[in-house]
Amino acid sequence: MTDGDGARFGAVERSAFEGRIAALEREAKRAFDDAQREADTLFAQYQLSQLVASGGSAKELAGAVLLELTRLAAGDEGAIWLGDRTGEPLQLMARIGSTNDLPEHFADAAAARRWAGGRPDLRFVVLSDEPSPTIVAIRAADGRALDEDGIRVAQLARHELAVAFAGARLREALEREGHDLAAIVDGATDVIVQVDEACRITRLNPAGQRLLGLTNAEAVGRPCGEALGCEAAGGHRDANCPLAETIRTGQPIGYLETAIRGVQGPIKVAGGYSPGMSRPGGMRATAILRDLSAAEALEQLREGFVATVSHELRTPIALIRGYAETLLAFDLEPEQHREYLERIQGLTERLGALISQILDATHLDADPLILERTPVAFASLVARLHGDLALTGDDRRLATDLPSDLPPIEVDPSRVGRILENLVGNALKYAPDESPVVVRAVVATPWLQVHIDDEGIGVPESDRPLVAEPFHRAWNVRESRIPGTGLGLYICRRLVEAHGGSLTIGDRPDGRTGTRVTFTLPLLAGRRDRRSGSRPTAPPPTVGSSRAEHVRG
Amino acid sequence: MPASSPTPAPATVSAMDSASLRAALARARRTIDRHATALTRLDAVLGDGDHGDNLSIGFRAVEELVAGLPPETLPGELLRAVGHALVSAVGGASGPLYGTAMIEAGFRAGSAATIDLALAASMLEAATDGLARRGRCTAGDKTILDTLRPAADALSAAVAADADAASAARSTIRAALAGMRSTRPLVARRGIALRLGERSAGHLDPGAVSCLLILLALAGR
Repeated sequence: MTDGDGARFGAVERSAFEGRIAALEREAKRAFDDAQREADTLFAQYQLSQLVASGGSAKELAGAVLLELTRLAAGDEGAIWLGDRTGEPLQLMARIGSTNDLPEHFADAAAARRWAGGRPDLRFVVLSDEPSPTIVAIRAADGRALDEDGIRVAQLARHELAVAFAGARLREALEREGHDLAAIVDGATDVIVQVDEACRITRLNPAGQRLLGLTNAEAVGRPCGEALGCEAAGGHRDANCPLAETIRTGQPIGYLETAIRGVQGPIKVAGGYSPGMSRPGGMRATAILRDLSAAEALEQLREGFVATVSHELRTPIALIRGYAETLLAFDLEPEQHREYLERIQGLTERLGALISQILDATHLDADPLILERTPVAFASLVARLHGDLALTGDDRRLATDLPSDLPPIEVDPSRVGRILENLVGNALKYAPDESPVVVRAVVATPWLQVHIDDEGIGVPESDRPLVAEPFHRAWNVRESRIPGTGLGLYICRRLVEAHGGSLTIGDRPDGRTGTRVTFTLPLLAGRRDRRSGSRPTAPPPTVGSSRAEHVRG
Repeated sequence: MPASSPTPAPATVSAMDSASLRAALARARRTIDRHATALTRLDAVLGDGDHGDNLSIGFRAVEELVAGLPPETLPGELLRAVGHALVSAVGGASGPLYGTAMIEAGFRAGSAATIDLALAASMLEAATDGLARRGRCTAGDKTILDTLRPAADALSAAVAADADAASAARSTIRAALAGMRSTRPLVARRGIALRLGERSAGHLDPGAVSCLLILLALAGR
């Protein structure tokens, strides 16, 4: 080999080497670019993952994901539709840019695909298919090509996105359910109290807050025994707390009666206790308690009604039957015959009066009272009553104390006549024979205040708030065995209230034995204006009786 | 090793060699440590509340890495190694973004033993372009780039105007500061903050703030 050969060979070799180096450099550059692109894609995926992991509602998530995917794909406009497992149509959840030409709904993913077939301007990406389809459409505003690497990121992330959207839907469903449950708990009329495993209150619903006189903030964190005051109210002992037992055993208690300390004293309650999980491994318990006092009062009224009505109906019927049997079985003297028939007539009248009272009370409860108000002189209504009483001779016991210049009242005369008839009838019935009943009236603008005083057995103070409730009869009246239904005062109260007034029961102001019933009626508007220029608002306080009881006014 | 080096000359006064680059990185670590709580607080508003802590961890890792590299390591190699350390050590998006910027700057530095002003400008451009590509972001997206892009542009302009190192550094930092401040009214378009939509306006972007802090440290401030 000569030097010249070597030089020639060297030149060829160098050229080959240089070619090889250039190829290797190109290869290295390509590998570097690929690695960069791969790194870019990975980073984009990472950012997308961070985005979907940050929670939020499906709509918020859809908006953020669409923004990110549109950016990744170098698009300018886009839209995203979501479906769910309910089979409802896919809904447009978010859009970017001027995409008003895109439909709000697709019946299903197949319909979306068919529609996409006619829209080559859009890149349609199905991120997830049935049963919870998620579809994204992206386009570049000027028709340029989208970034395929970005599209690839979207496709690579589709499972993650599907999971994220399913999670968002689930969170929303749970939140809705939570709100619904909270509405039920907050709207319940029963006390609902929840405690943690240390029996400290974690929740007290508004009904419980009202009954116990505590705010939720005041109740939360306190031991249940302290907040509910079961032991102090005469319920169970703290050591036998049913909430603690429920937590300890993990078993519900179906029904238990106890007592809690209410704002106005002990309240008898009954309810159930159920265990629950507060967190993995942690127990809590919930009690749903019903205030039994209202139910018990209702039950007492019902029992009173049954006893009264059955007694009041049975007694005259038994007497009628006795007189009728006697008339049928024996040949009586004409005078005795007539006497028996008159007694039967009296008893049937009593029965008729009782039944009409029951019907009146029922109507008062069922129908709105329609009053036919008209200007009338109170004295004329008393005079009419006087006339009615003359038939039985009771008129001589009725005394009146009415100023001659009483202004007219604006009332339904027949209803007020009924009030007077009932109240004066009661006064006559429960007072000794021959004792007077006095009807007085004074002006207490804008009201006429009427007092009916008797010398009867009086109404015990403890019964005063209740005597104007249906079928309630004061204990001294029940013991007196004087017949009655317990409806008269109730009917009077309702009729007075329908006129805007109030009815109170108290002691006589002169300190004598007996009762003063006071009620108010509205004066005629013109007279009212002339005297005081005011309209009736709240009924005036009862005059002359320090222990008068306002009856449900 | 920065800890044992004599007080290095400020980076922008003359060309930066490997030792002064190490010193600049040590300053960056201290600056980030000092402001870590504030950065995290900013990030709690717009992101996931870990930016300051993450960067602090990252720059400590950088410090350890740099201490282990031989003194003759070239600036470009140093920056590439630092970039990889940031990618690995910093959680969240800022690790890959700052890492990319450092790696790109390192590549641009090539095998130069010192970095003069023109090379520094070119490296900052490369870092900015790399970060923009990786983050798929542009200026105005309320990101690191809102600080970095104007800084890179300002440094290139200073070089084109034949400015001296000190005035080039001043104009670069001034532009970075203005860029950082510009993120306050912006609505975020990248990262977790985009979830907030309009609510992201009114807050500084934590990445834009940390970028300013790092540039200040590199500029010898």
